[in-house]
Amino acid sequence: MDLGTQRVQVVVLKDGAVVARAFAYSGFDPTKAAEQAVDEALRNGHLKLSDVNHFAATGSAMDMAPYANSKVSMMGADAKAGVFLVPKARTIIDVGAEEARAVKCDEKGIMVDFVVNERCAAGAGAFIEAMARALEVKLEEMGPLALKAERASPINASCVIFGESDVVSLIHRQESKPEIARAVFDAMADRVSAMVHRLGINPEVVLAGGVAKDPGFVASLNRKLGLNVIIPDNPEYIGALGAALIAATRVKGGA
Amino acid sequence: MKNETVERKFLPEMPRKEIDELKNTVKTASQKIMADNIERMKKADPHRPEAMKYFDEMADLFGKRPKEIAAEKEKGKKVIGYFCLFAPTELILAADAIPVRVNSGWYDTSKLGDRVVPVEVCPVIRSTIGAKMIELSPFLEQSDALISVLTCDGMTKLSEILSDVKTIWGMNVPRIKDSTQSLRFWSDEVRHMKTQIEQFTGNKITRKKLKEAVEATHRATKAFRRLQDLRKGNPVIMGRDAMLVNQTFLWDDKQRWTEKTEALCDELDKRVQRKDWVCPPETPRVMVTGTPMFWPDNWKLPTLVEEGNPQGVIVADEQCSGERVLNDPVGVDEWSMDDMLNAISERYLMASTCPCFTSKDGNEDRINWLLNKVKEWKIQGVIYYVVRGCMLYAMEYTRVKKTLDKINVPVYYLDTEYTREDVGQMKTRVEAFLEMLNARIDM
Repeated sequence: MDLGTQRVQVVVLKDGAVVARAFAYSGFDPTKAAEQAVDEALRNGHLKLSDVNHFAATGSAMDMAPYANSKVSMMGADAKAGVFLVPKARTIIDVGAEEARAVKCDEKGIMVDFVVNERCAAGAGAFIEAMARALEVKLEEMGPLALKAERASPINASCVIFGESDVVSLIHRQESKPEIARAVFDAMADRVSAMVHRLGINPEVVLAGGVAKDPGFVASLNRKLGLNVIIPDNPEYIGALGAALIAATRVKGGA
Repeated sequence: MKNETVERKFLPEMPRKEIDELKNTVKTASQKIMADNIERMKKADPHRPEAMKYFDEMADLFGKRPKEIAAEKEKGKKVIGYFCLFAPTELILAADAIPVRVNSGWYDTSKLGDRVVPVEVCPVIRSTIGAKMIELSPFLEQSDALISVLTCDGMTKLSEILSDVKTIWGMNVPRIKDSTQSLRFWSDEVRHMKTQIEQFTGNKITRKKLKEAVEATHRATKAFRRLQDLRKGNPVIMGRDAMLVNQTFLWDDKQRWTEKTEALCDELDKRVQRKDWVCPPETPRVMVTGTPMFWPDNWKLPTLVEEGNPQGVIVADEQCSGERVLNDPVGVDEWSMDDMLNAISERYLMASTCPCFTSKDGNEDRINWLLNKVKEWKIQGVIYYVVRGCMLYAMEYTRVKKTLDKINVPVYYLDTEYTREDVGQMKTRVEAFLEMLNARIDM
């Protein structure tokens, strides 16, 4: 179970393979949301609660997880799942709704170093949401829109609030929506790439988390980092998968 | 204190009622926090040394110690407060005055400081300004004069702001220390401070008095080093307990503190013999470096490390609120006045690893201290702690990180504020770091 700020993701692992997954919106009661997501995942996998050997929790609200037998740090989970999904991965970037982080790991998926974005959401998914509101477009339209931009108009996103006022001044300058959308992703990618550079880039680089599904962000980040990040299937489930993989070793280890 | 009618350039005039109400609220909250911190420290070690009781009592910033100081003041003693460790406390002691460090560790008062300076300013500074605004800190209030050593930008401007209401003596510290002209300059500053203290207190600093003060500080240093040495082996004292002992020196009576610390070390020696460790010997051994962490509110990082899941234990620090306090003795060859003043100047300038220094090799002394600590105290991970606005520590991180990378010791940069709200977020990061250290230890 990955109890994030916006969504709870659940992965069911059996004999080293994912047999089911589900999510629910965290809302005001993450515990209840997690119960719902677990319910749904088990239903998808035709399983019962009693079939589960071990529940592991990760995510910022992991302390509120139901059923939890153990906890796994978000960074530890990223490293484990990143290497499981992409064996050559040595740097995992995880951009979620409120937090971005980068984890350096070894070939066994054990983290050796990590950085987390400073206390500010401008480098995370919530920023795209706020900017989509300012542009009066749907969140999922932001990426495709940005890809249509012909040039970049820089904004200085040091925080969501200032970013929004920068976007407003672009609107006043009558920049087109695609260009503003691209400016938003470029600003985010600037912050994330600076963070990854502080850690040091060890190829291969995997990008995961909900924001990895946004083509606009991926294009901007690839441009900033000068490489092609690898995006695994279901990137938003990386935390839950990592927790499940680590839980599996704990069960085997007799924990 | 200056005449009330002096025009205030920085600090706002606040109605007495507001001052009293705010002071009351913050003080009550602070007393709860102190009690809670100590309760947690007691719980962390079921065989907590008897001697810690004394330090728990000394930790009450509104308790016994300010009352003792008030009584001394009644008898005519002067109190001289200071912010940075460069203030030569031997001179204060030799003039029969009481030295107290007055930096604020209160989170709540930093919000009051926001009325005077922007939020970008370091919270230690904002909080100290706020503490003065509501007359919260007994030691700051009791100070008849303040020594302000101009180390970082925050300290430099803080002294200007507090000069609205306090007598301030600035000390100009050179930023490059490995040169004879810097030392000459600084020893002039120290000699000037001696004259200032003598004139202010009306007490002449005689050779005999200064020798006594240097020797008393030597004895304290010996006890201090004994305590840190006891942290080299399997842990017999929680990091928080040792950190509290180290910090109480800043306001306690020096002789009594020395005796109590020696008594604590005697207990710890026995603990070593009994192999009575405070936590399993394989618990990750952590060192903290960076911005000073002042009692009582700013105790969140050591608490998170030592109550974490997985747990860590702080066995060393490199902070001016901790092990830098007494690490280095004043080295006197001949006990002439001149020789003692030279030795004091050298000890305060050369031994400091404050990031305000630079040289052609950067702040090499700090790097060497860290490397030495890692080796001798068998450090497995370093937390580099910085509060927002603390520019010098933030900027020196890159150098420290590269140095520690080279010897394969993980370091985590943790930035925070004077607030309780980010404890959850900090917990996630600290625990991930400890989990990583455990994984490395297992390999």
